[in-house]
This record gives sequence, structure tokens and C-alpha cells, in this order.
Amino acid sequence: MQKLVFNVLGIGAWGSGFRNWSDLQIRMTGGQVEDDGAKGPKPEVIPANERRRAPLPVRLAVEASSQACEHAGIAPSELACVFVSGLGDTQLTDYMCKVLAGENKALSPTKFHNSVHNAAAGYWTISTGCMQAANSVAGFGESVSLTLMEALIQAQAEQRALLLTFYDAPSSPILKPLLKNEHAFAVSIVIAPSNMTPPAPGNNDATELVASVVEQAVDWPSGEWSDDLAECYTTNPVARILPVLELVTGQREDLIMPLSSATALSFSRTKNT
Amino acid sequence: MDIRLLDYQSTSAAGINLSNLRDSIDRQKSGLRPNDLAGSDINTWIGRVSAVDNIELGEWQSRNNALAKLGYEQGDIQANVEALKQQYRPSRLGIVMGSSTSSIDRTETAYQHLEDGALSRDYKQANVHNPHAPSLFVAHLSGITGPAVTINTACSSSAKVFATGARWLAAGLVDAVLVGGVDTLCLSVLHGFDSLQLVSENQCRPLDQARDGINLGEASGYSILVRGDDGHADTGVRLLGYGESSDAHHMSHPHPDGLGAKLAMQQALAMSSLRAEQIDYINLHGTSSRANDLIEGRLVASMYPSSTQVSSTKAWMGHTLGAAGITEALIAVDALKRGVIPGSMNLNELDHELCISVSADNMERDMSYVMSNSFGFGGNNCCLVFGSA
Repeated sequence: MQKLVFNVLGIGAWGSGFRNWSDLQIRMTGGQVEDDGAKGPKPEVIPANERRRAPLPVRLAVEASSQACEHAGIAPSELACVFVSGLGDTQLTDYMCKVLAGENKALSPTKFHNSVHNAAAGYWTISTGCMQAANSVAGFGESVSLTLMEALIQAQAEQRALLLTFYDAPSSPILKPLLKNEHAFAVSIVIAPSNMTPPAPGNNDATELVASVVEQAVDWPSGEWSDDLAECYTTNPVARILPVLELVTGQREDLIMPLSSATALSFSRTKNT
Repeated sequence: MDIRLLDYQSTSAAGINLSNLRDSIDRQKSGLRPNDLAGSDINTWIGRVSAVDNIELGEWQSRNNALAKLGYEQGDIQANVEALKQQYRPSRLGIVMGSSTSSIDRTETAYQHLEDGALSRDYKQANVHNPHAPSLFVAHLSGITGPAVTINTACSSSAKVFATGARWLAAGLVDAVLVGGVDTLCLSVLHGFDSLQLVSENQCRPLDQARDGINLGEASGYSILVRGDDGHADTGVRLLGYGESSDAHHMSHPHPDGLGAKLAMQQALAMSSLRAEQIDYINLHGTSSRANDLIEGRLVASMYPSSTQVSSTKAWMGHTLGAAGITEALIAVDALKRGVIPGSMNLNELDHELCISVSADNMERDMSYVMSNSFGFGGNNCCLVFGSA
């Protein structure tokens, strides 16, 4: 297949120990960021009454998405989007399964409609007035690589800029022995094909990356992060975006990550910012 | 890009395979029955596939996976996948599954069998209790080792698999894509839709003046997508276009003017290089809810001439949610292949506010182009257009 050449136009981030992309860059290079004690973000883009009802994974996703669009200087309503959570909203799964295991099986209608996997894409498009294509996918351990591949192919095929949002919240206690994640983590990136005409805003001074799919069985790359960021990388499926962010910052020159048991997605840098 | 359907199969309460589905359509025989799902006392009708009740899958056990397996074994799907694995390599085939429930049926059961507040032995299934379970299981089942992704956009999930599959083929990522959809009846969806007061105590009556809600169902469906110029002996049906859009309105109510749905249909027509009047048949989303059918029906009336016949086929198997997209896309495809438009079963008196070409009876007609609509929670819309090659 043809190589996918694209630019990263903007990045947003919110998670345990970081509140934005510059915080996360400090954390990725071993620095510390003062803890403000927040358990979750309060994205201003969601109207206040809706925000109160929005579950943590939705707020993580929307906050990171907002930051990435602002960083890219592109209005959210102009971007198609792909959202991915590797584990889904296990707190809502836990709520529903507990209620349904009891005598009175009446569910909260709001919690039920929030339980769809595309809740984050729904809140995002509703809050920003975005009528573009919105996708919501799942890839479990391979969530990051599969979503990047899917979104890059869509961006290339449709010659458009895309918002990609990776988010997972801590697992509920009963499912935690299986789905071990303890950390909130969300990262969004805005990408555009390099050959898009007219070029996406900010295309010229953005980091350009080349992706290709190869038939090769590989393991996830190891990283040298400190403390809980290292733990997050091993337990939170979407934290596997970290090596891709290192490509953007120039800490890595190339990268290969598994897509399936017999295929892999490889990346290299072509120019610096 | 010329994208062809090499094969397709459908499994639902209206028929365990395509042949049985055709028979149910021809005889106007509904698969709906009064709700008898274990543990649920909701007074409604459901489209249950009883053949999945006793399928044993060991560490992969879930009702959803059982339905995925049952569907995969129908017709020639499995044989065609094996042949493609030989012709190319297992790593040159991809999987795109759509689902809304994934295997939450199994998580519900796990919570009924907790020991000291923890998952008991039989339910410690990490590969099952997650939203990617359908693709993980189908990869296991089929031996396909190329990329496998799950699309979970509620009721548009398994319509969008065609768009993703087509893009993968056009990009040369793979040489064939097994696209599918699977969703199963479980307490979450029955009691969830009941909490939204959307469930009918009667058999659903899409588009009818007296419709009073939806019936839930379960289904699995598969199609194998290939490039037209690769020389396969395909079905002669092409995926001509798709449209994907968002309502930007509400999590569980459609946009009052159907703006997102309109965008999806316009995109699908534009990509197909077709005008609205060239569409012979539209399989509507047509859930039988008051809101959906009125909004979708008005929109279709505003966009298409009376020569475009429409119907909702949900009274055959219920609303199969994450599997509805592919189930109904394949009903539209099969209508095109056979020249038989399924009627809008249970339609007695068309909603007084609607002016569309719809009939309860089946209709024989030679067709060139058909369309299928799927709209999901979160305001997620997908429209597909198929034509003869």
C-alpha cells in the first residue's frame, strides 16, 4: 500500500498528572507538574447542565479534543473525528450490570444513553455543532495503532483534516482484575494529509510523519517514562499514543507498533518543526 | 474505486440465513415474538434468535459471540474466507465489525454470578468484557490475521463498516475485508430502551399512524468486500457510495428536521454520482418510534420523487441496533438482486403527515440503485448506496 504522509497540526491532553500538552511534554521528559488535585476535567465547551451529567470518559475526551482544535487553530465544526476508548465506560457498565442483577431493573435513561461507546463523539459533536462524520471505534490493546491507521486512511481518501481522540478512564473495581487501568488518560491530535489542497491551516510548520503498514509481528515499543506515566503506558490501552507523541517532539526518529498478530504500523519523521 | 460484494449472509429472527430470510420476506412472516428473554419481564415483542441459546464457546462465551459464530457459519461466507486466505495470505484480509452491545450480555451474567463481590472463575474473560470483543472473536474464528477494528456508533455501527472496508480496499491496506455486524438481546438494551419509553407493547408498526414504539431484536450479518478489478466471481453488486454525518443535536433524539440524515444521504448520492430520482428503493431506518419515522419520512418525501419506493423492514426481526445497519443494507442489496422490494410489514394506515411511496405488500420491480439508512444515538448517521455492477 501507499505510504500515508501527514502533518500533526495540534495536540491536546488531560490525564493523571497533566492538564494539557505542555504538561504532558514535561512529564514525558521526566519532569514533574504540580498536582491541582482535580479528579477530572470540566470542559467549558459542554454547556453546564449537560456537563454535570457527562461521564468522566466523555469529559476527558472532550477536553483533550477542545485543546487540540485550539492548538491547531481549526474550528471543531470543520473536522471529522474518530474517537477511541480501549475499555469503554466501565463505571457505567458497572452501574447497569449491578442494577440489572437486582430485583428492580429500572435504569436511568440518561445513564443508558450515556452508556453507548460513541457517547464522547456524541457530546463532542453536539457541544461544538459539528455535523461532520464522527466515528467511534474500539481496538482493546491495539486501540491506538488501529485508530491511527483507520483515521489516516480516511484522511487520505477524503482529503480532509481529522480529529483523533484517545481516552480511557480508570476501570471499575469489579472489572479491574481484567481491565487493569488505574489512570485517566486522554490525548487528541489533529492531523491532515500533507498533500491536501488547499493545505490545512498550519500545515507548513507542522511536524510531518510518514506511516506505512507492514506484514510483521511486533511487540509494543518500550518507553523510558518515570513512575506512574510508565505504569499508565502498560495498563491504559490509549496511553500507547505516547511513543507517537515522542515522534512529534523529536525524541524518536521512527517507531513500529502492532496492528494485529501479523501486521504492524510503522512511522518515521520527515522534517522538524 | 469499484468495491464489490463477493458474498453476504444475514442471521436474525426472520431467518437464520439469507435463504430463510428470503422465505420470510416472501411469505410476510415476522420473526417477532412476545418477550421471553430470560430475566426480563418487560411487556413487549422481541426478535430473538433461539438457535444461539445453546452454543458453547468456552473462554469466548457470550451470547453476542454465539450469534457472531452462528452467522459466520451460514451460506458460503466461511468457505469464501478460507479461499481468500489461500489466494492471498491471512494477513492480507481485514475485519471490520460493527456492534453496539458488544458482549455486555456476558458482563450482565457475570454480575449475577459474583463470588464475594468479585468475578467468578468462568467469567474472567478479558477478551470478552470489552467493546472490541466482536472483532477479537471473529479474528479468532476466521483465522484472519490482518487488521481488525470494531466500530461502535450505536445503531449506525454496522452500516459504517462498509465505508471503512471500502476505504481499506481503496488504500490497498488489504485485498479483502470481512465486514460484519452483531448485536444481541440483553437486559441492558431491553431495560435501557424501556427507560426511554421507546419500547412498544405491540408488534412494531413502522410509519403507521398508530405506531407506538420499537421492538428490539438481535442479528448478525456479514459481507465480503473486494476490489472490482481483482477479477473475483462476485455477486455483481457494487457499493457505490456512503455518507457519514452527525446531527449535532441530542444524544437520544433525532434532529427535528433530520439535518444530519439529509447530509448523509446527500453525501452518499454525490459519491455515487447519482441524482435522488435514480434511487429505486430505500430501506429506511424506520424504527417505529414516533419521532424517527415522522422525521425520516418527511425528509425522504422532500428529497425523493414518488418513483422511489421506501419501506422499513423492522417488523420482520425488530430493531437489531448495532447489527441493524448491515442487516438492512443486505436486505436492500438482496432486493436489488432479486427484484423484490420487501413491504413495510404491519403498515395499516400511513402516518397522516407523510407522503411517501410505501406499501405493506412486497413489490416486484427491476432496480438499478438501492439505498439503506441507519441513524444512531449520539446523532450518528450513515447512508449506503448499492447498484448493479
